Amino acid sequence: MKKLALVAAAVLLCACGMRGKSQDSVVRRRLDGEPKTLNPILATSDAEQIVLALLERNLLDYDEKLDLVPGLAEEVEGSPDHLVYTIRLRKDARWEDGTPVTSLDVVFTLTTLLDPKAPALTRRALFDGFVKAEAVDARTARVVFTSAAAGRRDAFNLPLLSAAAWAGGDVATHPRNRNPLANGPYRLGSWEAGRTLTLVRNTQYFGEKPAPEQVIFRVVPENAPAFAALESGAIDEMRLSFARMKELEAKAGMPGVPRVVTFDELAYSYLGWNNRLPVFADRRVRRALTMLIDRESIGRNLYGGLAKLANGPLPPAHWAWDASLAPWPYDPKAAEALLDEAGFRKGPDGLRRKGSLRLSFTLSLGMGSDIQRQIVELTQLSYRKAGVEMAIQPLEWAAFMAKMDAGELEAWAAALNLDPYPDLSVSWHSAQVPPNGSNAAFYRNPDVDALLDRLKTTFGREEARALLARAQALIHEDEPVTFLNTPLIRWGVSSRLTNVRTSPIGLFMFWPGAAGWRTSATTGPIS
Amino acid sequence: MLRFALRRAASAVLTLLGVLALVFGLVSAAPGDAASLAARAGGNRAVPVSPEALAAFRHLYGLDRPVSERFVTWGWRALRLDFGLSLVDGQPVAARVARALPTTLTLNLAALFLACLVGVPLGVATARRPGGRLDRISGFVCDALFSTPTFVLGLVLLLVFSGWLRVAPLFADAETGLSGFMLPVVTLTLASLALVARFVRVCVAAALADPAARAGRARGEGPPAEIRRALRRSSAPFAAMGAALVPSVVSGSILVERVFSLPGAGGLLAESVFARDLPTVLALTLLSAAIVVAASLGADLVTAALDPRAARADDALPGIAP
Repeated sequence: MKKLALVAAAVLLCACGMRGKSQDSVVRRRLDGEPKTLNPILATSDAEQIVLALLERNLLDYDEKLDLVPGLAEEVEGSPDHLVYTIRLRKDARWEDGTPVTSLDVVFTLTTLLDPKAPALTRRALFDGFVKAEAVDARTARVVFTSAAAGRRDAFNLPLLSAAAWAGGDVATHPRNRNPLANGPYRLGSWEAGRTLTLVRNTQYFGEKPAPEQVIFRVVPENAPAFAALESGAIDEMRLSFARMKELEAKAGMPGVPRVVTFDELAYSYLGWNNRLPVFADRRVRRALTMLIDRESIGRNLYGGLAKLANGPLPPAHWAWDASLAPWPYDPKAAEALLDEAGFRKGPDGLRRKGSLRLSFTLSLGMGSDIQRQIVELTQLSYRKAGVEMAIQPLEWAAFMAKMDAGELEAWAAALNLDPYPDLSVSWHSAQVPPNGSNAAFYRNPDVDALLDRLKTTFGREEARALLARAQALIHEDEPVTFLNTPLIRWGVSSRLTNVRTSPIGLFMFWPGAAGWRTSATTGPIS
Repeated sequence: MLRFALRRAASAVLTLLGVLALVFGLVSAAPGDAASLAARAGGNRAVPVSPEALAAFRHLYGLDRPVSERFVTWGWRALRLDFGLSLVDGQPVAARVARALPTTLTLNLAALFLACLVGVPLGVATARRPGGRLDRISGFVCDALFSTPTFVLGLVLLLVFSGWLRVAPLFADAETGLSGFMLPVVTLTLASLALVARFVRVCVAAALADPAARAGRARGEGPPAEIRRALRRSSAPFAAMGAALVPSVVSGSILVERVFSLPGAGGLLAESVFARDLPTVLALTLLSAAIVVAASLGADLVTAALDPRAARADDALPGIAP
């Protein structure tokens, strides 16, 4: 009987131990949509990038301060004329099947990326002026361009395709797109379509082994069930709305309650004005439209005090942000005076007119963001008091983006996410008005154009900072759109996760990002 | 009867073609296409994408060809059960649909079965004593269920039973097995139950008030025989109700799949519409329209078999009758 009890106790202890280990060495994460591909050069959505950040290292990675640091490449060196870049790969970089990462992989990746038959849209423009990529030796590749570009080094924040694995097939439909060959800290263990992706440690990885043995990504499209899962411990992290953040903060300190992590992001929200339209052509009108909105109150009431006022086309998290630029104040009286000065005077019906031109327009917004809708509704009230007529038109997201890209919207509400080395030309250069680019405000200022052109070939950071400061000031003066707020991003993170760091591009897209996370049972890296 | 069945089948095929043409036209005419959405994936990002790259993408997937040409090409391939490749992930559409379908079918069939299992006896019981306590309570509950959006119902059940009481799993997967389907099935069942119960109540009450039923009772027919007769007399309306339930359950499952994070055909359809993934949208439309049209055709045939006057009346329609 005693023996039986001992055996039972041993079995129970073993079972508990196994359970404890398996639970504590697993990180469970949320994806709000299923990745469509894990081909690193085709991936564009957040879900795809988040998974790939653990599977593939880039030639160069961003660190948490957004400086480029060695990844698969020990070094990426530009020639003095910035036309030739020499990439030297690490000796010990390997794919998960044990084969080395070679210069042939670099050449194959760039050739595939720049092939018009590959549906790779977002990375291609970074390689404008590409002439050729060639292998110098097994570890060295050379990339030649016809023109120099200041942000070129950032283009090498580039993951690689294994030439052996991806060769001989259509890159758009290649079976490897759902079963990629990894060179990062994890490899794909399994993919249960529409439900989960399980990553396991990559034993061939050259760097420090990540502490958790597994990372399980679960597809949870809706926020309410995801939050229930976060609270119950079924997932370890998710982005939070302000309401959810408050809910967690109210329970702070209670055992097992996830903690809130906040950080500044490279993004801002804005109201766009189509400067081509007569109502928005005068910058006094655009400034007045900004000064009629109480953005501080919006930050206080809708963002729980966790939003800064935006003052221009760069957010505070950017290295070149000009803190000295004072945001336009909330001043309805001064705004109305500006509208009067611009010739838009109140008529007997309370609406402003300039001759036969009514100060009236439709503002569109993509459906999905409650806060954006609330901001727009508050703006509508403020405008009405000042004699500005604004209709609100919610649009399905794809239709909204298409109309914005085509320059068809009169006014719109949106948020803009910037890359670590943002090319301001994309949104503010006159050559980029639709259909050529994303300057949907049809903003034109020859001085800004000249500055942005100079920036393309300005390689020194201090010189670039000075040019960017001037461009910010000019854009701020013109106020082509109303720069609203730069809200802090909120994340709920399980209390058992440690070493969770943040960067202006989030929790995951820098190095080490989520690869550096530890759980309560895995306090140190595995050597 | 054969003529009637053939005519109905032909009309079903025409309906199907009309639905496909309409969906093809609507999705093609909607602002935004797969190329511009792929360039914007992940939100509004200030990333340069050249018009040439977008044009190359459109050419690659044939999005630059005329709508009519694309529709004919798609139809010709679909006849050979080749539904093309998804514009979103480059995978065969048939494989994507086949992956999603079992979840949706399991969910919908289980919900329909349970809704009938509970709804028919409830409808009969309330029809036998109209205005009684059970009738009033069930009327109130059914009205509440009928007016509650499926999405809200699912969310409430999920938060109460999975989030708060923690008696049901939050997700359905290999670990949770069938128990993961419990709440989604209950949600869809409740959404259909109200319709089934109230419809059965009305049909059976009408049948019980019929002179034939009164004559039966005068002949000494007991309640079981009386109910059997009432149900038999209500078969034709039941068939029509079944056909009417199918589209509502199919559309309801889109929302339920999203709330419960189930990778079904409903979720895939919604996702594909937002991504303008026309090949996937068309394949799923064909499938769901075929199910709805088949249900409707089945209901017509059952009605005609039970009541040949319906088929004869149809045959006698002006301009159609020989």
